[in-house]
Amino acid sequence: MRRHYLVTYDICDAKRLRRVFKTMKGFGAHLQLSVFQCDLPDIDVVRMKAALTEIIDQREDQVLIIDLGPTESHPIKRIESMGIKAEWEERRARIM
Amino acid sequence: MEPESQGPSSGSDIPLLPARMVNEFAYCPRLAYFEWVDGEFADNAETTEGRFHHRRVDQTPLRKSRKVEDDQPSEATIHQRSVWLSSERLGVTAKIDLVEGDAASAGLAEGTQTVVPVDYKRGKRPHTTQGAWEPELVQLCVQGLLLREQGFTCERGVLYFVGSRERVEVPFDDELITRTRELLDGMRTMTQATVAPPPLVDSPKCPRCSLVGLCLPDEVGWLRATHEGEAPAVRKLIPANDDALPLYVQTPGAKLGKDGECLKVKDHDEVIGEARLVETSQVVLYGAIQVSTQVTQELCKRGIPLVYCSSGGWFYGMTTGLLHKHVELRRRQYAAAADRERCLLLARRFVQAKIANCRTLLRRNHRAAPDTVIQELKCDQIQAGVAESLESLLGTEGTAARRYFSEFAGMLKEAEPGARFDFDGRNRRPPRDPVNAMLSLLYSMLAREWTVTLQSVGLDPYLGFYHQPRYGRPALALDMMEEFRPLIADSAVLTAINNGEIRTSDWIERMGSVTLTPDGRCRLIETYERRMGQEITHPVFGYQISYRRVLEVQARLLGRYLLGEIPELPPFTTR
Ligand code: SF4
Repeated sequence: MRRHYLVTYDICDAKRLRRVFKTMKGFGAHLQLSVFQCDLPDIDVVRMKAALTEIIDQREDQVLIIDLGPTESHPIKRIESMGIKAEWEERRARIM
Repeated sequence: MEPESQGPSSGSDIPLLPARMVNEFAYCPRLAYFEWVDGEFADNAETTEGRFHHRRVDQTPLRKSRKVEDDQPSEATIHQRSVWLSSERLGVTAKIDLVEGDAASAGLAEGTQTVVPVDYKRGKRPHTTQGAWEPELVQLCVQGLLLREQGFTCERGVLYFVGSRERVEVPFDDELITRTRELLDGMRTMTQATVAPPPLVDSPKCPRCSLVGLCLPDEVGWLRATHEGEAPAVRKLIPANDDALPLYVQTPGAKLGKDGECLKVKDHDEVIGEARLVETSQVVLYGAIQVSTQVTQELCKRGIPLVYCSSGGWFYGMTTGLLHKHVELRRRQYAAAADRERCLLLARRFVQAKIANCRTLLRRNHRAAPDTVIQELKCDQIQAGVAESLESLLGTEGTAARRYFSEFAGMLKEAEPGARFDFDGRNRRPPRDPVNAMLSLLYSMLAREWTVTLQSVGLDPYLGFYHQPRYGRPALALDMMEEFRPLIADSAVLTAINNGEIRTSDWIERMGSVTLTPDGRCRLIETYERRMGQEITHPVFGYQISYRRVLEVQARLLGRYLLGEIPELPPFTTR
């Protein structure tokens, strides 16, 4: 089952920051500076954690993975945005 | 590939059984059969996490948790990680996470060193009396037996649970050893069979099993039993919204590259889109799109098919990783295709289900479907069920199709003035009106979808039962798609027109033939994909499931039918 996650991070080193950013692009939509919207089944959460573990420095960096609940319950509706409207990515086939 | 995951090479000479497989066998014999004999493997969150922990075990230099060190007095003489042992006599092989020397060995005679295998497990220690479940115990015991073969004294092993950092001592007593040998023998017997052991019944193990999606325990169980009336009470074990989704590239001259974990599409050095690899089920290229070798390799590695079509949508072929390992399945498929009786049986079923679905679509969407047509279609359906040959079946199918398509226009709303959705009957190559052009495009998309699905479950899409393998057509894909034409393609065309998603301005007419503009096609593909993602109630099993998943389930059920596990392939018809 898929769940929505909000992933935010604080990385102390520029090189690791770039790597974390690049990795996160593989798992979710870039929402804000260090915030991603991810829409993942359990298996990809594990993959994401494994990938991030390889990169971050456990003593200096921090990643927060906020579980917003199953996608069916549309938990993102509970998030209010101020200022520029937030664009939540919807899952659909990509046609380019 | 790890040496452990290589399956048997031929029927008689069984290669060494990996201890990990004995674990699977103790969990469920069917699971072991799928993985060991058929070479099936699917990851789920648990297996992935397990591998992640193991890799860290393999990598870390000799750093152990304090708990391990406490139990590890300084006299220890052996402390070896990732030890790989095999024994021809026992017929097993194992990779042992860690072998510890034991303090008790001090003072024993030379050459009889006492050792303890340590096996790392993900998660926490289960709360059972023995401190672990049987599969883990026997796997460890196999490691112990292997160490004994090497001349070591080995009286016990340790399971180390990474999640709770707990060690569980496992004595290798007679009872455990007997049980382990019993399972090893059972497993050897099983490998001789050509069909997998039956699924577990209503077992709590299934929801946690990584192969549940291909095993279909409850579905197969239900279809094997005889039923009176309708009482679908099948657990829903297949998650419906986990599907990855296709990526279509149709911009002429675009380049497909890889950037980290994403696929990147560029048009003249300008990035026009990205797609995450973990979310991609297949990559479909229309026309001249450049792909880097790096992308092709990555897609092969991940088992994501790369599909090539002409810019008009004609399916050329596809690149996939290695051929599926399930040889027995294809063997059965070829045998069935060579058997005229079975072909006819299946063909009748395909045509019947298709006519039934056409009829339902008309009844539901036609403003005033003439009763006669509805009744005649019912007769065609019955007629198809008793057809005596493939030829007469073709005739019945043709008649039914003419009836259905002569009423097709009645399902279209009055379009904007001047609209040319003037549909009377099918025409193709080239399609002469927009509706026919849309149907042709979506049929070829559906045929591609089926080709990919059949191949991914290990069937040969080119050898069918109803359609003959001529002109390079994916005959089995065409067979399987029959009943889904009205449900997916026709219904998507109706949606696109009736909702105004496609308008007359989306058409280009050239010398009597009609094609969609790139923009129009993009929207039609979107409509089709939305339909594929739509959840419906499964007519046989009663749970909610997307069409995308239905195709996969149906393909797997065909496999189960060909392997003789279920007596019939249930048709997919809606009410
Ligand atoms: S789903 Fe159940 S029956 Fe099927 S292989 Fe897994 S555990 Fe065995």
